[in-house]
Amino acid sequence: MSRYDWLLSLHVLGAFLVLGGAVLAGVFNLAALRRERPSEVAFLFRLTRVAVVSISAGMVLTLVFGLWLVDEAGYGWGEAWIVVALVLWVASNALGGIGGKGEKRARQLAQRLAAEGDAPSAELSARLRDPVRLALSWSSGVLVVVLLGLMIWKPGA
Amino acid sequence: MLALVRPESWNLPLFLHVLGAAVLLGALGATVVIALRAPAWRQLLVRTITFLVLPGWLLMRFAGDWIDSKENVPGDPAWLGIGSLVGDAGLLLLVVTALLAWWGLRRPQRGWPVKAVAVVASVYLIALFVAVWVMTAKPD
Repeated sequence: MSRYDWLLSLHVLGAFLVLGGAVLAGVFNLAALRRERPSEVAFLFRLTRVAVVSISAGMVLTLVFGLWLVDEAGYGWGEAWIVVALVLWVASNALGGIGGKGEKRARQLAQRLAAEGDAPSAELSARLRDPVRLALSWSSGVLVVVLLGLMIWKPGA
Repeated sequence: MLALVRPESWNLPLFLHVLGAAVLLGALGATVVIALRAPAWRQLLVRTITFLVLPGWLLMRFAGDWIDSKENVPGDPAWLGIGSLVGDAGLLLLVVTALLAWWGLRRPQRGWPVKAVAVVASVYLIALFVAVWVMTAKPD
């Protein structure tokens, strides 16, 4: 195997960790939206941590080995698809990070409510269905899929 | 350096193949996590398998066939054989996983079906990661 093959396989592994992690997070987020009891919501958000680890590790792998691949394959650093990919990578991380903070606040509220009797709460329900939080998290996932398309089509390369 | 010279017409099937595989990996990961950490939530387990794992497999497999028909790989390289094997054998494992999950939902007093789901899904998850590496790196 050439160095290019190794770099590509590690870059793709990172992409699968990100995409797979996003699916994993989506499953538990959707499940949390269907629950009323705070203890169940808190539990589902705790399960989401597995996805966060997968996405974080994948993001690092895709960036490190992606940049190395640009050099190894002889692409130009100023090529539009590479610049756009880097912008999307940053945007996806930023949106996911901000959305993740909203999830953390919802999880903390759910944990507190669970300790105080575990009764359904309108405040928790509203926080779970906060359109801004949902839009941020889902936009981050959509950007990752767009990034995948960009990596495959490489427009202008 | 296949990626550098890939014809334009291969891009859509490759995109769908990779997207399907990613959905399958993530949903299978969710299946394992639910089966291990939340074994009582059997409806979530069945829904994850029905609405994400199986559609992900279908997208991966049929888009894989689509790109294979375009690529027309000469000979019978090991990476393609391993990828196809993991894909095809995966259907059997996924059907078994789905049946076990469904059985667990119908018989909530029994714990073994969900434990079996965790084992079978974990085995296939590992096989999929191996297939991803083999199909990407294409070792000799």
